[in-house]
Amino acid sequence: MANREVVYSTCKSCHGGCGVKVTKEDGVVVHIEGNPDSLTGGTMCSKGLSSIQHIDNPYRLKYPMKQVGKKGEGKWERISWDEALDTIADKMKAAIKDYGPHTIAISQGTGRGYNRYTMRLARSLGTGNAITPGYVCHSPRLGLYALVTGYGRLYCDYHGWGGEFPKTQIMWAKQLEISSADSEMCYWYMRSLDYVKNLIIIDPRASAYATRANLWIQPRPGTDCALALGMMNVIYEEELWDKEFVDNWTFGFEELRERVKDFTPEKVSDICWIPKEHVIEAARMWAIDTPGTIQVGSSLERQANCGHTLRAITCLMGLAGNIERPGSMVSWVLPDTGLIEDFNLELPITDEMKSKIIGGDRFKMGATRTCNPDTMVKRLLAGDAPIKVWFSVGGQQIVHMANTKEVVAAIERVEFMSHTDLFMGPMAEAADIVLPAAHWLELDDVYDMHPRFMIEAHNKVIEPPGEAMSDAWIFNEIGKRVVPDKWWDTVEDMLDYQIRRGEGPDGGPLKWKDFSEKLVSGCWGPDQVYYKYKTDFWREGGGFPTPSGKFEFKSNHLESLGYDPLPVYAEPGESPVSTPDLFKEYPLVMSSGYRQPFYFLGQYRNIPWLRSFMEFPTCQLHPETAKLYGVEDGDIVWIEGPRGRIRQKLRTFPGIKRGVLMATANCFYPEEPAKGYHGVFISNPNVLTSNDHLDPMYGSPDLTCLLCKVYKAKDEELKEEVFRNEEYGFVPPHSQEDM
Amino acid sequence: MRWGMVIDLAKCTRCHACVAACRIEHFLPLRVTWPRLIALETDNGYDVDVSTYPVRCNQCKDAPCVDACPTQASYKREDGIVAIDHDKCFGCRYCVIACPYQNRTYLSRKRNPNYFPEHAQTRFEKMGKKLYPHQVGTTEKCNFCHERIDAGREKDLKPGIDRDATPACVNTCQPRALTFGDLDDPNSNVSKLIREKSGFVLHSEYGTEPSVYYIDYKLGGNPSNKAPVEAQTGSHIQHLSTVYAPSKPKLAKKNAD
Repeated sequence: MANREVVYSTCKSCHGGCGVKVTKEDGVVVHIEGNPDSLTGGTMCSKGLSSIQHIDNPYRLKYPMKQVGKKGEGKWERISWDEALDTIADKMKAAIKDYGPHTIAISQGTGRGYNRYTMRLARSLGTGNAITPGYVCHSPRLGLYALVTGYGRLYCDYHGWGGEFPKTQIMWAKQLEISSADSEMCYWYMRSLDYVKNLIIIDPRASAYATRANLWIQPRPGTDCALALGMMNVIYEEELWDKEFVDNWTFGFEELRERVKDFTPEKVSDICWIPKEHVIEAARMWAIDTPGTIQVGSSLERQANCGHTLRAITCLMGLAGNIERPGSMVSWVLPDTGLIEDFNLELPITDEMKSKIIGGDRFKMGATRTCNPDTMVKRLLAGDAPIKVWFSVGGQQIVHMANTKEVVAAIERVEFMSHTDLFMGPMAEAADIVLPAAHWLELDDVYDMHPRFMIEAHNKVIEPPGEAMSDAWIFNEIGKRVVPDKWWDTVEDMLDYQIRRGEGPDGGPLKWKDFSEKLVSGCWGPDQVYYKYKTDFWREGGGFPTPSGKFEFKSNHLESLGYDPLPVYAEPGESPVSTPDLFKEYPLVMSSGYRQPFYFLGQYRNIPWLRSFMEFPTCQLHPETAKLYGVEDGDIVWIEGPRGRIRQKLRTFPGIKRGVLMATANCFYPEEPAKGYHGVFISNPNVLTSNDHLDPMYGSPDLTCLLCKVYKAKDEELKEEVFRNEEYGFVPPHSQEDM
Repeated sequence: MRWGMVIDLAKCTRCHACVAACRIEHFLPLRVTWPRLIALETDNGYDVDVSTYPVRCNQCKDAPCVDACPTQASYKREDGIVAIDHDKCFGCRYCVIACPYQNRTYLSRKRNPNYFPEHAQTRFEKMGKKLYPHQVGTTEKCNFCHERIDAGREKDLKPGIDRDATPACVNTCQPRALTFGDLDDPNSNVSKLIREKSGFVLHSEYGTEPSVYYIDYKLGGNPSNKAPVEAQTGSHIQHLSTVYAPSKPKLAKKNAD
């Protein structure tokens, strides 16, 4: 009789955190499905389900290894964990002694599940130079929310706990329906659609619901701030604002009126290349049919005006009174385990650490707690070597940062780098030591990422391959070796510590063992509090936790940092308007905002089931635009800009704005050799992006708004292995070869 | 009783989770997929339509594949599901050609490499050979997860309502775009949806009477955003049985974020 066992856990194949039910037979995972007794109702996406090909993937890293050739040569030799960890720890100690702790960089990718370990390690070592993709994903919005409302976490209330669902929903440069990333779960959003009156999609490219929504606005990439200012203009002109909220709880209302005065629907229509009626219609829906929510996509944070764009959008929320109302933008009451970031926040960033943060003198909103990666690249290239030791976990800076050529050249100059990952990839090849990490089915950890009202558990289902270990263990081992007083004897001790404020079954502190059996803990339904600004929640006598105690349309704090205190529109660094001469040579507006539901950023092109859905990185053009430039559906095309050219497969798509090319971002080819960093120069749009023009507040580059031209690749130019490899391709169920 | 499915084109997000769930459920060979997604993208000059049609075996009432099968390997179950007896199938592929919807696949050797073709079989594949063997040289297609339906009904579970008696793709669908139930029961979820949202079948002119229906509509325009009482109490999130009851949140505590 076969031995069947069911284990419940939490998925982190994207940011999500969907409940998972795994069935094992004789120790082998034979089934994965959603856990019906979870907040995602038993649903799961293709990424999480295809984990079966992740855990048994023959290309997994199994042992610590050291590079025995030159960086990027791919010559590796197995070493022991002790040798690997001791080498890294010794390098860190030497750097601290010889140059100071700020010369150590700790980096992560999306850091889902281990954000807090990255930050704690950096802070415990005494460096503020943590490198994260936050400045192009999520951090700007948190900072701006905090600036305007005093509280850094505003989420869309899709739950109905307060009696209302959102009446108007805006999806702004976001495909929440396929991504559960950043703050919300797609399952909650899609369920709330049964109650929505107005669904507004703002996206140059048709996302799944665009053509069935009430309004679909296709702005030119990089002009979203103007659209937000234009919507506010209409709200002022037509006196549609929420009088009660504005009169009692806001600061700078008249100054904002003055600022948006010029942004008439006509002007916005010219800037954004949209009909002026769209601006008016969206503003009316948003301000009249309240409550409403705006789901912001990180494409807006991959633009060099991201600070003001997000500031404008946040002001738009306030004008309509869509703050803290049931069915609007809400900050959640935390579970009784508290704020998970306290795990790293309890170690303060000292003024000394702050003063050594790379880019901190320039990007006064973004580079206050983490380094500005683009500035680091420039300094490495200039030869002043601000980073001596780089401890990298999970992220692919080579792939996601602007100007790939410069990033590779800079990273090759770092004296010592280690990288932790599940597979070989561009960052691993640039490292001196690689450490093998465990998949989420292979580890125990606390999962508390973005949905702030709940906290979940990853429960280990199977053993990792070879000697792969969990992120938590790796961070703790490094921490123990360099700053032992800030770390723990065992991982379980560390997990207990993170949830200690919760209440255990015996009334004492919650322990990992008890928590892991329970899977989900949190506050929802009647435990949530709305209208916090009308209570003592943030401030005695009511108000927002801002300097003025109000919702700040105008920010004196921002002014004191040298920025405009009100939102202001700026063109992208390279655009038809800002660089008209360049536009003559590169006549298409390009965005790298195309995301697919079965990939997560740079991940999963080595999972055959997922790769089968899209073999090559693909770009989209409107059929008429394609015709204009002589390219056809299915062509492999060159996409060329001032800094280089890449190839992607072209799909003509009527759902994309004419004159815009939408390329797939974050693509490298895991099957390609180490030399050339796994094909990172073949198709990755960041070969084309610039790291010279950055957002003044956050240092974010223009990754989703630049210029390009397109032309068909010649047959002889397609000799790279990737374009001849039929291995992964989707085979239709009914094909000639079967007959 | 006739099992059927209603697919909501307004809600489908082209996420491919249904395909992934099916692959796990049936230990599908690498180059075989039972459900598929067909993209329909049009621009008639003033109106753009971007749609995704999830397709799978239609379990037709008048199934041409059953008629074409010379060995009765393809047969119709009493509950309307078209099934295949792989011991009787000898791979003539008449059914593949007979199906006007192209929803059948012949499992050739080429379609059945290891998941990582240059490497040994994974543990999951080896287990699949035992738990859900596929026979190279026979024809395959979606079977509405009749294993799940049969096992569930033995336990008195209701297909389309109880997970363990419902097709895997329906269970995993995040937008809840798939609904499963009894087409013969006028009060079933599927019958109601077809009636109220003008359900239609693909290519009705083929005359095969599919059991897979589609509905399509504009999102938005809902008359009320008021949450039902069960949503307000928090029980709108289903099945919180495993949740460890949290103590009351400490409201006085400031968010240190």
